[in-house]
Amino acid sequence: MKKLVSLTLVLMLVLSCLALPALAEDRYLGVMLGTNVMSLDTNLATDGDSFEVIADCIDGLMQMDADGAAIPALAESYDLSDDATVYTFHLRDAKWNNGTPVTANDFVFAWRRIAQEAGEYAYMLDEIGNIKGAAEIISKQTDDLTTLGVTAADDKTLVVTLNVPVSFFPSLMYFPTFYPINEEFYNSLDDGTYGTSPTTFLSNGAFVLEDYTPGTATLAVKKNPDYWDADRVTLDGIRYQVVGSSDNALTAFKTGALDVVMVSGNQVDAARKDPALAENLKVTGAGYMWYLSFSQTEKNAQGGKLANANLRLAISNVIDRANLVDNYVMDGSLDTYTAVPPQFAASATTGEDFSADQAKFADYVGFNPDKAQEYFEAAKSELGVDSFEFTMIYGNNEGDEVAKVAQAIKEDVEAELPGVVINLQPMTKAERLDKMQNDNYDIALTRWGPDYADPMTYLGMWITNNSNNYGFWSNAEYDQLIADCVTGAYINDYDARWEAMYKAEELVMKEAVIAPLYTKANANLITAGVEGIDFHPVALNRVYKTTTVK
Amino acid sequence: MAKKTAPASQAAVPYTPVKEDFVLLPQRDIRTDTNFASQSYWKGVLIHFFKNRRAVFGLIIVTAIILLAVFGPMLSQFNYRDIVQYRNDANRRVVAKGIAPQIPWLHQLLTGEAPEGNFADYTFLFGTDDLGRDLWTRTWYGARVSLLIAFVTIFIDMIIGMSYGLISGFFGGMTDNIMQRFVEVANSVPRLVIVSVLAIFMPKGMGLVIVALLLTEWIGMSKIARAEMLKIKEQEYVLASRTLGAKSGHIIFREILPNTIGPIITQVMFSIPTAIFTEAFLSFVGVGIVLPQCSVGTLIEDGFNNITTLPYQILPPILVLALLMLGFNFIGDGLREALAPKLEDM
Amino acid sequence: MLKYVLKRIGMAVLTLLIITFLLFLLVRIMPGNPFPSERMSAEQIANKRAEMGLDDAIPVQFFRYLGGILRGDFGKGTSLYYGAPISTVLSTAISNSFRIGGLAILLGSAVGLLLGIVAALNRGKFWDGFCTVFSILGVCVPSYVFLIFLQYTFAFRIPYFPYFFDPNRFLFSAVIPSVSLSLFTMSTIARFTRNEMVEVFDSDYVRLAEAKGMYGSSLVRKHVLRNALIPIVTVLAPLVVDLLTGALVVEKIYGINGIGKLMVDAITGEGIDYNYVLALGILYSALYIGIMLIVDLLYGVLDPRIRVAAREEG
Repeated sequence: MKKLVSLTLVLMLVLSCLALPALAEDRYLGVMLGTNVMSLDTNLATDGDSFEVIADCIDGLMQMDADGAAIPALAESYDLSDDATVYTFHLRDAKWNNGTPVTANDFVFAWRRIAQEAGEYAYMLDEIGNIKGAAEIISKQTDDLTTLGVTAADDKTLVVTLNVPVSFFPSLMYFPTFYPINEEFYNSLDDGTYGTSPTTFLSNGAFVLEDYTPGTATLAVKKNPDYWDADRVTLDGIRYQVVGSSDNALTAFKTGALDVVMVSGNQVDAARKDPALAENLKVTGAGYMWYLSFSQTEKNAQGGKLANANLRLAISNVIDRANLVDNYVMDGSLDTYTAVPPQFAASATTGEDFSADQAKFADYVGFNPDKAQEYFEAAKSELGVDSFEFTMIYGNNEGDEVAKVAQAIKEDVEAELPGVVINLQPMTKAERLDKMQNDNYDIALTRWGPDYADPMTYLGMWITNNSNNYGFWSNAEYDQLIADCVTGAYINDYDARWEAMYKAEELVMKEAVIAPLYTKANANLITAGVEGIDFHPVALNRVYKTTTVK
Repeated sequence: MAKKTAPASQAAVPYTPVKEDFVLLPQRDIRTDTNFASQSYWKGVLIHFFKNRRAVFGLIIVTAIILLAVFGPMLSQFNYRDIVQYRNDANRRVVAKGIAPQIPWLHQLLTGEAPEGNFADYTFLFGTDDLGRDLWTRTWYGARVSLLIAFVTIFIDMIIGMSYGLISGFFGGMTDNIMQRFVEVANSVPRLVIVSVLAIFMPKGMGLVIVALLLTEWIGMSKIARAEMLKIKEQEYVLASRTLGAKSGHIIFREILPNTIGPIITQVMFSIPTAIFTEAFLSFVGVGIVLPQCSVGTLIEDGFNNITTLPYQILPPILVLALLMLGFNFIGDGLREALAPKLEDM
Repeated sequence: MLKYVLKRIGMAVLTLLIITFLLFLLVRIMPGNPFPSERMSAEQIANKRAEMGLDDAIPVQFFRYLGGILRGDFGKGTSLYYGAPISTVLSTAISNSFRIGGLAILLGSAVGLLLGIVAALNRGKFWDGFCTVFSILGVCVPSYVFLIFLQYTFAFRIPYFPYFFDPNRFLFSAVIPSVSLSLFTMSTIARFTRNEMVEVFDSDYVRLAEAKGMYGSSLVRKHVLRNALIPIVTVLAPLVVDLLTGALVVEKIYGINGIGKLMVDAITGEGIDYNYVLALGILYSALYIGIMLIVDLLYGVLDPRIRVAAREEG
């Protein structure tokens, strides 16, 4: 016993010697990341956290202002040809942090590489940006990279040629896929090492990578003194920390270990109820919308029962979306009744949010048990059966609230539509996607985030044979409307295009191709005195260029 | 004296035995000590067991938990999947989620005032979970699943693991070598991989969880049994028994097994919680039981999500598990002492 | 002895080969996709698969993979830390997990052994009861719950230790995770030690030794502990492997870049990362096989009558 006590004392003595005071890190902002940074290579990164860190360190042609509008960054200005298909960007004098100037060729190199490697976000070049020659390179019809419609007229002039006018093209330029990489530096590195450490990564942006190895839960960036706009940046740096759970995030915030964290579910509730924390709470739009996808093909849902629009409408009308956001998601997410979620796409002419009016499809979606009964009766007589059993798949690694939402939906549907049984089936997100892409599911709880600030980022999904049209719905009128908006009649008439998109959205809602649920928000806790973090629902969730710490 | 069933004294006769001497002896005489057998071994075990106060206490705990698992959910007005909720004046749903344990009459008794607030007049002995379901009901409902897992684990350990280890250790040499290499292969494929592959061929649910446990859960036990076998098989009484012509099966299971029972019982006790958490993990990844069903393991994992904000959620399932293990341990200790009684106990 | 060890190592290589092949097949059968994507066309994904060589015959792929391993090339991640060579990601993860796990093993087995001995010597008294309850709590309460408890108490209420793992202050920030990871081992070892020692105390030869006048620590060390160590070493061995290869939730909560999290991320992350699963699977198997060999050798040291080696040669 005595030995035990003395051993403990010695142990404590040793530990107290080890307890060095934390290094003074004034004005380094401690920020939580939800997941590990997967890659700092614009060609490989696919997640919001990686994009955020890339954007800390690298500037593109354009950047986002506090409201999310595209304003010049590395491009001092740009000219647009009369037919609106050729953009000429004039670059300002900026430097990579190894001293070499940023040139137009850095963009040409980076974009060609993205087309050549044809990864996840290569579709920004062809499908979204409609850059000339991109589709051919991505689909490997040609391996001549010079056919890509991006050229360096001189060191400071970048010319981009599009197939058709793309009204939102400048706003794509703040998306990390379009950021430059210095060719000479890249080629001097060993294969696979670009972006894996501070010495194998070049910055031209507000911050320089200070500490990072793939896999680590911590990452640090420090202020870039040579940044072209260095005067605006007041932070000395940012210390990122991956935090594994919402509960842990809340405690980390309370201890002061982190200045900016995201909480969800009960922890939001706890923060709201705690007067000391309530004033630190800031809800921001996360952009992506959760919705139910229904497989409409023969081989699923008991021989294609969900191909019946009335059955889908019945289900969509018994889900109490207000209940979902009030009681289960709780982070300020918005219950959503439109196929295009609110708060990310505003009209360039009127400035009005595309989905500001959430009641416009009240006939087809909402919590209307009575109306649902009518739809359900109609479905039962059309299909000739009155009991249904479906499996609903959802990801177990997509947030704590997803399982709760799935259960709440199950309870609502089974209570209001007697005869319908929903079996829940959790799986990883990867497996869920695999099942959806191979059309091997009945109902899926899934989500989609906007990649660019235009309703087409959602509406483009439901055209016949699109790879994201997981319900395999097909409607000729819809396909025509979308084609007119993307490459046809409406490309030069902004308001008519906007109108056509409303019509298309109504078609989706009328048949309940999907059942929209809620638009995700992030509940952030921010230490008092930290101001000027720009939150955006699209592309870059958090930007720290003008952040100040008191 | 269960230990030395082979009468060693016979080997001590100063006489060079010839083959015939052994053939003449009838087999059953070697197997049983008639003197001891007349007392009925199992009856003795039972008497020993019930004399042990801790063992009886353990039995009471486990029985109580089994009874509560069977009848507990019926004592509550709620079903394991009922969400307690109502609509308020603004037609918004109010859900009884995250409520701490409450007993209205006790509140009244202690404070002299009727409890106030939403759902204040409901009895939630263990509180409610994130969805507004009664945790008392869910805990006992979950205990059913976890008790099943516990008994399956005991079975796997005692039948597969023990036999495998004893046989591998007893025969040694090439047999041991091959059997141990097989263990290494079986143990090395990550459980998540093997279960995902199995899930392609069979329906997800408890059946799959049990198959998953069958695949690897016996390994720890087999290692213990093998180690004990290696140690004991070199002892004199085994050699004696072997010399007297006892069959391998007899030596392994009748003579060596009773002497290895101590570590084997300890190992069983430690593999149960591991198995219960394995089930929870498999359910989380989607190959075990599905929501809204639950088990003690999944309830602990759910509670963990709110451990600092709503700490009472994790306590009931952990307490149930700990009490169950305490009961099992007492029973195990009692059994060990009863099965291999020492001199002082006799 | 040396011959036996060499023979076992030879067999270990063969076993590893079988395991690698098995894993190689199984990951390809698993549902899920090494190139999970919502934005690539089917054609793009097919091209990616072809680039990875996933369309070749399985034996061709397997031998190419083996060839890579022999050159020290475990490939790159496809859905995890894309692009970065696995060896760079793995080396820091291994170093973290081995060090934290190693501390947990040392702490767990030392304290567990001590607790077990104390309990056995005080049979039926307070320390015995304490040991029982402690061991039961130690195995019933998952290590991550202990972690949260320690983190909440010693990094938040009494902010003495860092709240998150900090690689630059390794030893100091390893205390909380190591202690929480060690509790399961501590409980198991304490319980096994206690039970084994009680049994050995009751055995005839200890009674004989006592009768001969041996007592106290020399009796415990020379006779009791030595005989009790065989099952203890046996249960400790798999725990060592498990602790060295990390624990998912503890690593996730405390922000440690370790093997446990890497393995689960590789299987249940964005997609199934074949190369990570294989590399980590081989690492785990090699450790397990190596430690089992050590245990078999230890048996002979602890009890010279046990000769796994000699038997096998005979």
